[in-house]
Amino acid sequence: MTGRIEHHPILGSLENRKQILFHFDGKTYTACESETIAAALLANGVRTLRVHEEKGTPRGIYCNIGHCFECRVTVNGVKGIRACLTLVEEGMNVESGVQLPVPFKEGGHQK
Amino acid sequence: MESDPIIVCRCEEVTLQELHETAKSYQCSSRELKLRTRAGMGYCGGRTCRNLIDMIVNEVTGKSPGHSIPLGYQPPVRPVTFGLLGGHK
Repeated sequence: MTGRIEHHPILGSLENRKQILFHFDGKTYTACESETIAAALLANGVRTLRVHEEKGTPRGIYCNIGHCFECRVTVNGVKGIRACLTLVEEGMNVESGVQLPVPFKEGGHQK
Repeated sequence: MESDPIIVCRCEEVTLQELHETAKSYQCSSRELKLRTRAGMGYCGGRTCRNLIDMIVNEVTGKSPGHSIPLGYQPPVRPVTFGLLGGHK
C-alpha cells in the first residue's frame, strides 16, 4: 500500500520515479523523489506529524500550503520546518514535535 | 460538544465552546477575547483563526470587526528564526 495515485485519469500514470530513503522518528521510510515530507509520510500511512506542545493531542497536515504551521517538524536538527513545503531528501532525518513540560501552568489557570 | 470539541485556534488549542462562553460572559472585543483565551496568539501568528475570532465576537456581542481595537497585524508576517533575521542560511 503506497497511498499514491498511480493511475490518474487526466495526469496519466505515475512514472517510475527515483526512490529515496529517509528517517522519521528513528524509522526508515521510502519516498519518491520531489515529494514533500508530508506527502511521503502520508503515502506511508503516517498522519500524525507532531503532538500539541502543551496538550499532547495529535497534529498533522492541515492547510498543506505552508500557511498554518500545523505540520512543523524538526529536519536534520532544525526546528519549525514545514513538512508540507519541504522536499524530502536522501537520508533526511525528520523528527516529530513532542509534548513539552508546563511547570508554571498550575495556579495561573482560570477555572 | 465536550467529547468532540470544535477547535478554532489549533496552535493554542482553544475550542469554539470556550470562545463562545468567554465572549458571552465578558461581552468583549476580539482583542480582549484573544488575550483571555490565547486564541490567535500561537505559532502561526493568528493567521488561521483571526477571522473566526472576529466572527465569533460579532455573533455573540453584535460588534462588527474593524472597531477601534482590532486584532493587530505585526511583523514578522510569518514565523522566522532569530538566525534568519541575523542573516544566517
